[in-house]
Amino acid sequence: MAFVPGQPVTAVVQRIEIHKLRQGDNLILGFSIGGGIDQDPTQNPFSEDKTDKGIYVTRVTEGGPAEVAGLQIGDKIMQVNGWDMTMVTHDQARKRLTKRNEEVVRLLVTRQSLQKAVQQSMMS
Amino acid sequence: MDDYDIRSAASILASVKEQEARFERLTRALEEERRNVSLQLERASQPDRLSICNIGNGQPLATAWQQLVLQMKDLACTSDSPVHEQSPSNQTSIAMMQEPQEMVEETVTVEEDPGTPTSHVSIVTSEDGTTRRTETKVTKMVKTVTTRTVRQVPLGPDGLPAMDGSSPMGSYTDSIDRRYLKNGERYITPQASSTLTRSYNSYNDSYPESHEGQYRPYLGHDGYGDLSDNYGSLSRGVGYRPRYAYVPGSAYRPDDGSFTLPSRRDNYGPVAQPQVPVGSNADLNRSQPERFQPEPYGLEDDNRSLGVDDEGYELDPDYSTVNRRTSAGVPERGRPHKGRGYEEPMEPEMVEERIPYLHGGYAAPLAQPERGSMASIDRLGKRSPSIDSIRKDPRWRDPDLPEVIAMLSHPIDPVKSNAAAYLQHLCYENDKIKKDVRHLKGIPILVGLLDHPKPEVHRKACGALRNISYGKDNENKVAIKNCDGIPALIRLLRKTNDMEVRELITGTLWNLSSYEPLKMVIINHGLQTLTNEVIIPHSGWESEPNEDSKPRDAEWTTVFKNTSGCLRNVSSDGAEARRRLRECDGLVDALLHALQSAVGKKDTDNKSVENCVCIMRNLSYHVHKEVPGADKYQELDAGQTTGTGGSQKKKKDDAGCFGGKKAKEEWFNQGKKNGDLDRNFDTLDLPKRSEAAKGFELLYQPDVVRLYLSILTESQNFNTLEAAAGALQNLSAGNWMWSTYIRATVRKERGLPVLVELLQSDSDKVVRAVSIALRNLSMDRRNKDLIGSYAMGELVRNLPSRQQRSAKNLEEDTVVAVLNTIHEIITDSSENARSLIQTQGIQKLVAISKSSQSPRETKAASHILQMIWSYKELRNALQKDGWNKSHFQSVSAALKGSKGPAGRSGYDDSTLPLVEKSQDNEKSGSRDMIPMDELGPDGYSTIDHRDKERKYKSSDPSGDASEKEPLKNDTNRKNINRSNRASVNLVDARDIKPQPVDSWV
Repeated sequence: MAFVPGQPVTAVVQRIEIHKLRQGDNLILGFSIGGGIDQDPTQNPFSEDKTDKGIYVTRVTEGGPAEVAGLQIGDKIMQVNGWDMTMVTHDQARKRLTKRNEEVVRLLVTRQSLQKAVQQSMMS
Repeated sequence: MDDYDIRSAASILASVKEQEARFERLTRALEEERRNVSLQLERASQPDRLSICNIGNGQPLATAWQQLVLQMKDLACTSDSPVHEQSPSNQTSIAMMQEPQEMVEETVTVEEDPGTPTSHVSIVTSEDGTTRRTETKVTKMVKTVTTRTVRQVPLGPDGLPAMDGSSPMGSYTDSIDRRYLKNGERYITPQASSTLTRSYNSYNDSYPESHEGQYRPYLGHDGYGDLSDNYGSLSRGVGYRPRYAYVPGSAYRPDDGSFTLPSRRDNYGPVAQPQVPVGSNADLNRSQPERFQPEPYGLEDDNRSLGVDDEGYELDPDYSTVNRRTSAGVPERGRPHKGRGYEEPMEPEMVEERIPYLHGGYAAPLAQPERGSMASIDRLGKRSPSIDSIRKDPRWRDPDLPEVIAMLSHPIDPVKSNAAAYLQHLCYENDKIKKDVRHLKGIPILVGLLDHPKPEVHRKACGALRNISYGKDNENKVAIKNCDGIPALIRLLRKTNDMEVRELITGTLWNLSSYEPLKMVIINHGLQTLTNEVIIPHSGWESEPNEDSKPRDAEWTTVFKNTSGCLRNVSSDGAEARRRLRECDGLVDALLHALQSAVGKKDTDNKSVENCVCIMRNLSYHVHKEVPGADKYQELDAGQTTGTGGSQKKKKDDAGCFGGKKAKEEWFNQGKKNGDLDRNFDTLDLPKRSEAAKGFELLYQPDVVRLYLSILTESQNFNTLEAAAGALQNLSAGNWMWSTYIRATVRKERGLPVLVELLQSDSDKVVRAVSIALRNLSMDRRNKDLIGSYAMGELVRNLPSRQQRSAKNLEEDTVVAVLNTIHEIITDSSENARSLIQTQGIQKLVAISKSSQSPRETKAASHILQMIWSYKELRNALQKDGWNKSHFQSVSAALKGSKGPAGRSGYDDSTLPLVEKSQDNEKSGSRDMIPMDELGPDGYSTIDHRDKERKYKSSDPSGDASEKEPLKNDTNRKNINRSNRASVNLVDARDIKPQPVDSWV
């Protein structure tokens, strides 16, 4: 998943569609994100490449909408509803995910196990 | 043949009559069934014979039986297999006829007795004097299954299996066998008349749609699950049956008593499901295995009243968990099924699962084919002789590993599940195969099967994963994690209600939790689910108790045991893990409730209790610093002390800047002050609470003291005792208000004698934990006086004497712990020092300090001697006993000498306050300036120091840690400021780095 800034990224992604849960006035997705181009990427425990400033899923509420949809801790979010998430600030990512008028978010995520699975299948 | 038939008829009649009396209440339904079945009989198809059984079983009418017999005769004649011959002449024996055709053998092997897990125990102790013991218990989950051997044995005229080539023979796994069957018609040939076997059904019907129909027959047995409640004793009788069967020749004699049960069962099935004709076949099949499980059923019956799948199973260690599971699972599954109308097919595995009861003792079926056949003999009775030869049939072979793994992806579900089950068997205690499975990429496929909708598929996959996850090879665990196995297991746990599957899931998680890097992953994905799905319901705790209902007791189920074991492992992962567990809704409440219930029932020796206490101990570790709002209580404490003691705050700051000595003094003084404070404690009241404590607050409420003391009084389990003492140790170590209360409460609840008595324990680690707990408790001045008068003798007794290394041969860690405790007790108390002299302690101490092989023991002993000599008022008495100054001082001088050059002041280190420790340079600098003599006593003067340092100890709390670990610490410390975790090899990233920004969305 290493990438060179400015170059296209190739990654195996999974589509995940999360239906937000309404709790009172809030719509919740049930996960938390870390990372962003304004954050210190070396502190990201999930990235393989410690210069990766992407947005990562840091926590997932058990039984919450995100978990139900298959999102997992450590997933790297590539896109949200078509918007790129690999070069955004933390806050931009948060806002993109929490639009109040969107009840559903469609994510493209990648994770190491996906990459590995594909590599393995290509090798064998 | 006719002879036999006649005899059969006679005996059938006899047994039918007997049954008639017993099952009168079923008569009506049976009648109806009989009609159905008779119709089928007329059609003279194979299945009929089976249905005959049904009729016969329970059929009260003699005529019906005659009719049946006739039918059977016809069948026998037309078909080449003279089944009757071998059948003992009653209904059940008819059922037996099928057996030769398909024998499902399953051997259950227990990987390890759950009682004897391989545990890697690492005790981490820590700064507080608190121990965290991580026991990594690799669960031995058991497992499984194993061999499922399906044999097709056509019967010869003599009742022995026919050896002609048309019958497939040999032992194969289900899937394979079935495959072959499908293709070869031999299946149908000789046995056609004899009976339908399971495989036959499966493959004649179109897959998989026909599944349901095909399995319906099992319902009869499900019904049995219910019946067994009433007839448990009967079923036990049945168990003896196989033995008679072996008797050659005479084997045919009716054995009525034993055969009655199966018939009953068979009846019951049809009642529930009269319209299913094919069903009866399967019924027969199933009745076979069931006959042999009487004991488990008996057990179950006994326990049933306690609840489904209760701990009762644990009563009988001979049953492997699988057995227990099965017996537990059957009724559960059975009941819903009837109601639900079979949407979920009862799988063939049901049959297999039951069989294990027979063979629980076989360890490695595959490796020992002969034994396998013996097993079959057990069941089959006479047919056995030919089985060995059958096995040798060269045309069949076992599939190799790649083939099995390929079968996991087979489009047909039963093939998948059989392949997984076979894999589970292969992996059992075979690290090489596990590794091969990993290299062949089998693990991701198995994980993928966890999401399979069919229960038999995910169950078997889970079983395989459990065996794979067991063992020292952490790569396997990592492989499961890397393909997202942990979230998949958790998902399945939420989805399934099948107790067996839940046991498998939690067992797998327990195994996984033994590997450090996976602990946080498990917490992240599963903590709340495990708590909500298992811990809370099985603990009996209710967050909003119903006023009317009395509180429920905990159920020590296997699921609970596994889950608590898993949480016990993850609770040792460090500050973050502890925080997550403490803050997990309902977890602490439920664990405490479970423990209280254990104490109430005087059932404190089991593994589940041990796990719970260990979790509690781990969560109590550092509770005084890690709990939200802890500051508040610290301040209160500090405020009180400032009243007497002066400007502590300022001193603390100084400690940071100037290093050891001042800080040390400060801590020392504070300790004294605390002592003073405690002296007055009896006039203090425990804080009044406006509302009941809940969640993590419960960890340190003085109420828990009584719980731990009860456990310490009652339990015979050394691990539990150690953990309970460790919990008290942790709770009494802190410097906050609650620790003060805890120390006083232990005294008020008369806990000191309990602890002192445990110093006599045969278990090293119990002695150690108790000794350290006493040391912490003696921070309370009154406790110190009491412990000095009453515990000194026991403490000294635990020290090695000149002749033996120790009266009990205690480990070095323990001896050091005892020495440090003695040191603590005589500090500031010449009275206690005097009682040390009176208990002849000096002699032992001098011996240790002069001649012990262990430098740690030597140091600890010499510190005590120095302390004693410092009480001038005691010198006279000492000199009278023949001791002189050299006995008390020389050692320390020697120590100093040896220590100086190497700069190995590690020991001192650990006694320094925490603050300093984080600053290496200063620390070493200050250290140099501190003369040894001063350090010795001071080091221990307050528990706080100890606490802070203790974490470095791997096995034990107090003193040892201080001595043992410093070197390592030094190196660590340079890089890492301060780790909250105990053991050196733990990854500490979480603790040192500031948390990155993290937003919930």
